[in-house]
Amino acid sequence: MLTYTLRRLAYVIPVAFGVSVICFLLVHIAPGDPLTAVMPIDATAEQQAEMMAIYGFDRPLPVQYAIWLGKALMGDLGTSIATGREVSAEVSRAVGNTLILAVFASMIGFPLGILFGFIAGYFKDTLVDRAVTALSITGVSVPNYWLGIVLVVIFSVNLGWLPSVGAGPGGSTAWKWDFEHLRYIILPAVTLAVVPMGIVTRTVRALVGDLLSQDFIDALKAKGLGRFEILKHVVKNVTPTTLSVVGLQLGYLLGGSILIETVFNWPGTGFLLSNAIFQRDLPLLQGTILVLALFFVFANLIVDLVQPLVDPRIKRG
Amino acid sequence: MFPRTLRRASIALAATVLLSTSALADGTLRIGMTASDIPLTTGQTDQGGEGMRFMGYTVYDALINWDLSSADEPSVLIPGLATEWSADEADRTKWTFKLREGVKFHDGSDFDAEAVVWNLDKLLDKESEQYDTRQAAQGASRIPSIASYSVVDPLTVEIVTKTPDATLPYQLAWIMMSSPANWEALDKSWEAVAAKPSGTGPWKLETFVPRERAELVPNADYWDEARVPQLDKLVLLPLPEPNARSAALMSGQVDWIEAPAPDIVPALRGNGFEIVSNTVPHNWTWHFSRNDDSPWNDINVRKAANLAVDRDGLEQLLGGLMVKAKGFMPPSSQWFGNPEFDVTYDPEAAVALLAESGFGPDNPVTVKTLISSSGSGQMLPLPMNEFIQQNLAEVGINVEFEVVEWNTMINIWRAGAQDPSAMGTNAINFSYFIQDPFTGLIRHLSCDLAPPNGTNWGSYCDPEMEELFAEIRSTFDPAEQDEVMRRTHEKFVNDALFLFVTHDVTPRAMSPKVKGFVQAQNWFQDFSGITIEE
Amino acid sequence: MSASMDARIEATPGTVGLEAETTVPVRSQGYWRGVFTRLKRDPVAMVCGAILLLLFLVVIFAPYLPLADPYKGSMIARLKPVGTPGHILGTDELGRDMLARLIYGGRLTLMLGLLPVVFAFAIGTTLGILAGYIGGALNTAIMRTVDVFFAFPSILLAIAISGALGAGIVNSLVSLTIVFIPPITRVAESVTASVRSLEYVDAARISGAHPLTVVRVHVLGNVMSPIFVYATSLTSVSMILAAGLSFLGLGVKPPQPEWGLMLNTLRTAIYIDPLIAALPGMMIFATSLCLNLLSDGLRSAMNIKD
Repeated sequence: MLTYTLRRLAYVIPVAFGVSVICFLLVHIAPGDPLTAVMPIDATAEQQAEMMAIYGFDRPLPVQYAIWLGKALMGDLGTSIATGREVSAEVSRAVGNTLILAVFASMIGFPLGILFGFIAGYFKDTLVDRAVTALSITGVSVPNYWLGIVLVVIFSVNLGWLPSVGAGPGGSTAWKWDFEHLRYIILPAVTLAVVPMGIVTRTVRALVGDLLSQDFIDALKAKGLGRFEILKHVVKNVTPTTLSVVGLQLGYLLGGSILIETVFNWPGTGFLLSNAIFQRDLPLLQGTILVLALFFVFANLIVDLVQPLVDPRIKRG
Repeated sequence: MFPRTLRRASIALAATVLLSTSALADGTLRIGMTASDIPLTTGQTDQGGEGMRFMGYTVYDALINWDLSSADEPSVLIPGLATEWSADEADRTKWTFKLREGVKFHDGSDFDAEAVVWNLDKLLDKESEQYDTRQAAQGASRIPSIASYSVVDPLTVEIVTKTPDATLPYQLAWIMMSSPANWEALDKSWEAVAAKPSGTGPWKLETFVPRERAELVPNADYWDEARVPQLDKLVLLPLPEPNARSAALMSGQVDWIEAPAPDIVPALRGNGFEIVSNTVPHNWTWHFSRNDDSPWNDINVRKAANLAVDRDGLEQLLGGLMVKAKGFMPPSSQWFGNPEFDVTYDPEAAVALLAESGFGPDNPVTVKTLISSSGSGQMLPLPMNEFIQQNLAEVGINVEFEVVEWNTMINIWRAGAQDPSAMGTNAINFSYFIQDPFTGLIRHLSCDLAPPNGTNWGSYCDPEMEELFAEIRSTFDPAEQDEVMRRTHEKFVNDALFLFVTHDVTPRAMSPKVKGFVQAQNWFQDFSGITIEE
Repeated sequence: MSASMDARIEATPGTVGLEAETTVPVRSQGYWRGVFTRLKRDPVAMVCGAILLLLFLVVIFAPYLPLADPYKGSMIARLKPVGTPGHILGTDELGRDMLARLIYGGRLTLMLGLLPVVFAFAIGTTLGILAGYIGGALNTAIMRTVDVFFAFPSILLAIAISGALGAGIVNSLVSLTIVFIPPITRVAESVTASVRSLEYVDAARISGAHPLTVVRVHVLGNVMSPIFVYATSLTSVSMILAAGLSFLGLGVKPPQPEWGLMLNTLRTAIYIDPLIAALPGMMIFATSLCLNLLSDGLRSAMNIKD
């Protein structure tokens, strides 16, 4: 167990290194000049060259990478070209907002997904199962950015019940977990939760259905175990895989909210990323992708470390 | 989209069950901007015209300001932090600026000649301590004529230009004055200043959350008492996505949005919102290549194209939110003049003109135009260009498009029509900010600004035009200068030097609660007279 | 690298982790016939299959259908409602026929759903079989590179690559292909590795059969079907992602019709004619739903466990 943990931990390092290389290269394969978007359109060629030198874009790529990585290891992701602010400050603020959204979406998506999955799996091949399956497949098939637009039109514009943009009445810095603030999160979180809910439902349904159809359940029943005990047994066996799917989906919620954040003007990482892309703000783009990918790497790590602990098939000790 | 009764019922329900969205303090105006971030707060703003509108002319002043008080008259220059200015009769490169007495920055420090020099150094002198790359990137290109500057006495500054240039006052209207004392107090850190800026303007920045919101409060001690703001607070929200912006207005989260999408305008009107618009010095045009191989070298082709565009149809497409072009300047401009060539819709005359040059149904003109998929000031580039393409095809001008992304387009615009990056196109669909003599006329057609030196994209060069430009720069009496501007513009139109299509009207939609806004014919606006009626 | 990570396929939206160990050895003609017979008994999958087939036919033969020009618009006929004579599904914001644009748009959208998966299928299967069959340093090199790409959530990777390359159909194809290579490589690798260790495959190898023959007869036959099912569901993901890229302005460029882009440009029309504005979204939704249902049907017909 210890060796496994250590090996798994050590494995993070080369992956993280690879991730940093990709983040860096991704941004530099892009054609065009990184300063175009941020300078007035009649800035002269010299003025542009000067700015290139100030930001270090005139140096060879490996040198730029080495400098960038060195600083990144110290927690310094450079300065945004478009705003002049520290990338690390920008990204950490955005990550905080995305986390709030992801947590809230998880609170909607995962319990519902697990519940639906359980019900469908338990009553496999009944009408209930069909209905739940239809719901979950709808969840995974719907383009969620489109769903978001539809929800805004219905609940914000026509009904006037919920706000359509932003993170709270005073912006995200004044975030509180009270109703006045939660109203802002309902629409984006529901929209964001739809896909993971569908995936979790499908996974849990398959797991539960599969388990219940196995012979040993009959054996347990024959042994005189009650319905509740059997259910307990099922839960125990389903937990590890469910956990790993949930873990991965949490990573997806963090990294995959870009379209939803654009629709709802939610000041998170996705919003930051799309700004960075369209302003060709290289340091910001690199920093945001790096942080998000590392989050995903660590989500995977935690899943892999926790999974054996809850897996009854793996003997501990 | 919902039955009316259902909607009423639901609104009533919303009011009783849930908190109301519009329960905010009195006299707070919340504006949804199109920018994706709060413009740079330290003085010289980014985010183009919108940045200057909301974070420049609000928190700061220039030595010379734009007059933003009238909706009917073209906007002109008026004294700002300088009360009077003149160029030396003997040496036209020497300008003297008399400064306004008793003006204080928001931090309480005095505005004086030292502060002016300090601010120019901030943009132009790389050796100075206060040199700020971010502000310099935005400001230095606005004042290309300045050679040197110095303090004469505490209320007098002298500025020397490289060559005699009567357009200097227009250049200086760009330059915002930030407080040197504030910068000193904040450990000479522009990053710290960004969070706590200090200018002389009618508004003070109170709080600001990057990318989310900025809150401005009135500067009760503003030097121009008539322009002390009436509101308690002005809140700026960046809402770059047009649909999100409209939804925010309709759901009561903001009171005012910039640039509502044309298709949403009827729905906004239907819901009781007001659409305010006015001519602005903006121009949406096809800038022709005048290189040897360009079909646009033939004046008949240029005129025919101008007569082929159905601007009424275009107006319909834009929901009426445009001003039909009659020339390069908007028809209401003080520089429009009296051109002989009437820019109108006359396809028959267009066909006749083309026939004169030997073109006809069997021998159509073929041109290639560079267009962008979107972009600041570009309005709705794709549908508008497709519409023009159909119009021109009807008179016998076949148009082929190269569609590029906006930033790529800016680079091609800088590189010029002869550059390989222009992909052999012979026109570029660009939108121009034409607020002053240089950006309005000179920079597009001046010989010495032919690429790669400047922004004369098509490498046009005409001795007569050169003389007119020289005259603009050397006419120091404003009224006489306006007269030369008019003559220059007449030549622009008579020679049909561009495809004149339309001018933007910078529409904004606002709640009926917003009172007292006068939309000036300018990119910048004054928010001081606005009140919110509850 | 843990065994648990090797076997797990990232659960991208629309897919479910597929346990590679469940592969049933050696498939033959009879096997496929059996699959089809079972599939025929699944009405939902059959209906979806039929709908998709019809959609593909319509889209492929679009130029031969009596449709309006999808590029020609009229300012007078803007945003006509569904049911307008001459425009059964109405017109868009430039007065272009919605039916024609939806059908021509389907060409691009479906292409962007299919092609990346096909390319990734070809590249990923090759890489995976190489890694799984040859093993050793090659396996390490391929699989560790794949791991790095796995560290990015799929949407993030697609957006990041497209953002870097810029908008355009080719760039969208490239970025989506890159997104799908790692998961397919992983499935192919682990199936190959498990097949390789089967006794009879081992025997064939030791008996001196040409490696290519072994791969063709034993490995490919086993690897194809789970990957095929997986690919069906990836097509739906690919389509939603491609439309998402266009929606953000990173995919197909106007005036070309594409569902995601149409969704984007018609967004403002939602207040004038919500039905027209909703049509492209509904097309994406319906197609993706059918792909997923068909993939589910195939999965159970092939006896592959979720």
